[in-house]
Amino acid sequence: MAKRGHGDLAAQEQRLAYGLLAPTFVVLLAIAIYPLFSVFYNSFTNNVFASATPTEVVGFENYRRLLSLTIQVVPPKLDDAGQPVVDGESGEVKYESAVSILPREPLRFRPVNQFTLFGTRYVLGATDPAFVLAVWDTVLFGVATVFLELALGIVVALLVNTNFKGRGLMRALILVPWAIPTAVSSQMWAYMLQPNRTGFFNTLFWHLGFGNGEIPFLSDPAWQLPSMILIDVWKTTPFMALLLLAGLQLIPADLYEAADVDGAGPVRKFFQLTLPLLRGTIAVALVFRTLDALRVFDLFQIVLGQARYSMASFTYYELIQNRQMGYSSASSVVIFVVLSIFAVAYMRGLGVKSDEH
Amino acid sequence: MSTKIKQRLNRILLWGLIVVMAFWMLFPFYWAVNSSFKSEGMLAMTPTTFVPRDPDTGTLYFYLRNYEAVFTNQAFLRAIGNSLIVATATTLLSLAIGSFAGFALGKLRYRGKTATLYIILAMTMFPAIAVLTGLYAIITELKIPPLLSMIFTYMLFTLPFTAWVLTAFFRELPTEIFQSAQVDGASPLQTFYLILLPLTAPAMVTTGLLAFIGAWNEYLFALTFTSIAPDARTLPVIIANFPSQFSRQIPFGEIMAGGVVSSIPLVLLVFIFQRRIVAGLTAGAVKG
Repeated sequence: MAKRGHGDLAAQEQRLAYGLLAPTFVVLLAIAIYPLFSVFYNSFTNNVFASATPTEVVGFENYRRLLSLTIQVVPPKLDDAGQPVVDGESGEVKYESAVSILPREPLRFRPVNQFTLFGTRYVLGATDPAFVLAVWDTVLFGVATVFLELALGIVVALLVNTNFKGRGLMRALILVPWAIPTAVSSQMWAYMLQPNRTGFFNTLFWHLGFGNGEIPFLSDPAWQLPSMILIDVWKTTPFMALLLLAGLQLIPADLYEAADVDGAGPVRKFFQLTLPLLRGTIAVALVFRTLDALRVFDLFQIVLGQARYSMASFTYYELIQNRQMGYSSASSVVIFVVLSIFAVAYMRGLGVKSDEH
Repeated sequence: MSTKIKQRLNRILLWGLIVVMAFWMLFPFYWAVNSSFKSEGMLAMTPTTFVPRDPDTGTLYFYLRNYEAVFTNQAFLRAIGNSLIVATATTLLSLAIGSFAGFALGKLRYRGKTATLYIILAMTMFPAIAVLTGLYAIITELKIPPLLSMIFTYMLFTLPFTAWVLTAFFRELPTEIFQSAQVDGASPLQTFYLILLPLTAPAMVTTGLLAFIGAWNEYLFALTFTSIAPDARTLPVIIANFPSQFSRQIPFGEIMAGGVVSSIPLVLLVFIFQRRIVAGLTAGAVKG
């Protein structure tokens, strides 16, 4: 009797648990799982939003258009005698135009980049250079920002973990960049990076004798990514620092006392004590930040618009500007896959065990 | 003697770093405030000035028209209302739904618990961009109004986070409270409402704050879902695509004023609830 009563209670508790979890799972099913499947399905169609053309399943066509890459040798231009044409002024060999080398059928390739290896000129062609560049830029942006944020984040975390008057205020203060809406901070920085001396950075560099005061930070391709990285590092280092601070506070103080007794200096203490004990925290912070950085949207869309894409802003413009439902779905899927690969690789590489969570 | 000098040097180095850090964190915001008090003529001065100055006399001068323009701009005022509605509704919904889940995950025994925990954790990292096209299709198909669309879809990032953090808090509550209430004849649901919920109030404040800030700052969904509904635009969308009263160039003065206005509530929250926000942020990522 008592046993049955206990069993009833357990069953009751289980029913209650399912009941309580149901709303969460229904919501997530509706706004995450179902749309994800519809994105997968759409990525295999030629669906164009608000268009009269009937939607058809086109197999991997979208993916082929997004991801096709080719590398071709660019032959030097030959004169009538069959000798390479050499530029009279620079003495460099002239090459055939890259566009003419790249295949046109069945899909037309466009040049992404040209490079020379062992004296031979190559061209990298893609059917959608904008997307290939978006992936490349986003990964570069992600790696650079996460690395810089980790390095600076450790410095900031160690600082606000030290005892000093006004530490509480300082901890609140480092939350300011994190709390400001990205839309606002993007505009703030876009204004500071104006291409003339109305902008803060051009004025500063001009005073320091660097540049002519008219550096086009946001329109010169060479400056665009560094500018994006700078803005993101400012915005997100606080988050990194707070995660690391939480890890620092978990390290028992007597370990440091023991190290003091052993006569270890601060540098040795940092590398032999703090860093190894912070490993787990760093791993988790890296995973979170990398996943965040690779889906960057606000910053790129607001500051660079269609001048240069991140993976996410490429997808957005394909959907809203070009109404390419099928094509943008395929790029969504690619983003999803890239993010998953990074997440798994990090977890594996850094030896984060699932039971540590 | 030499250790004393060393200590003093350490102190100086520490404060030097603190000052540099504070400057680096605050300067861009200061620059926005500075620029928001400049007229178009003052903004065009080269080299730029570190405080608002009159272009002719060079004396300190605060130009207030940008704020006036912002507060008489119908689109901006509507956006404040929209942002408040969306962020508040999302926060309350996530807290209600998420606390149920947190209670079940943190305190109840049932089959499949590990799996559900993993699903919630995985969902906290779910990339919104991956489902953008899918959600957009559903919303246009079902003709869901934009404000409602935002309220529901923002739960994609607020709900898993809320449930995850609340789970950790529920788990830390002593099981004895729960058991003694059951011995007294309270049903698990009564225990939840009468005993556990009041105890988790601080955790609710923490997660609520973070959900609110996240929703207040959200841009991707807001931009997409209001692309043909200008009246439903939230503050980030307005700030990013500022509609000028007198469209000449990009109205940076007004944008900065609008940006300062939309950031001030957040800066206040940060200073009032610093401890809670830090606790919530780290609980979401490290603990659990």
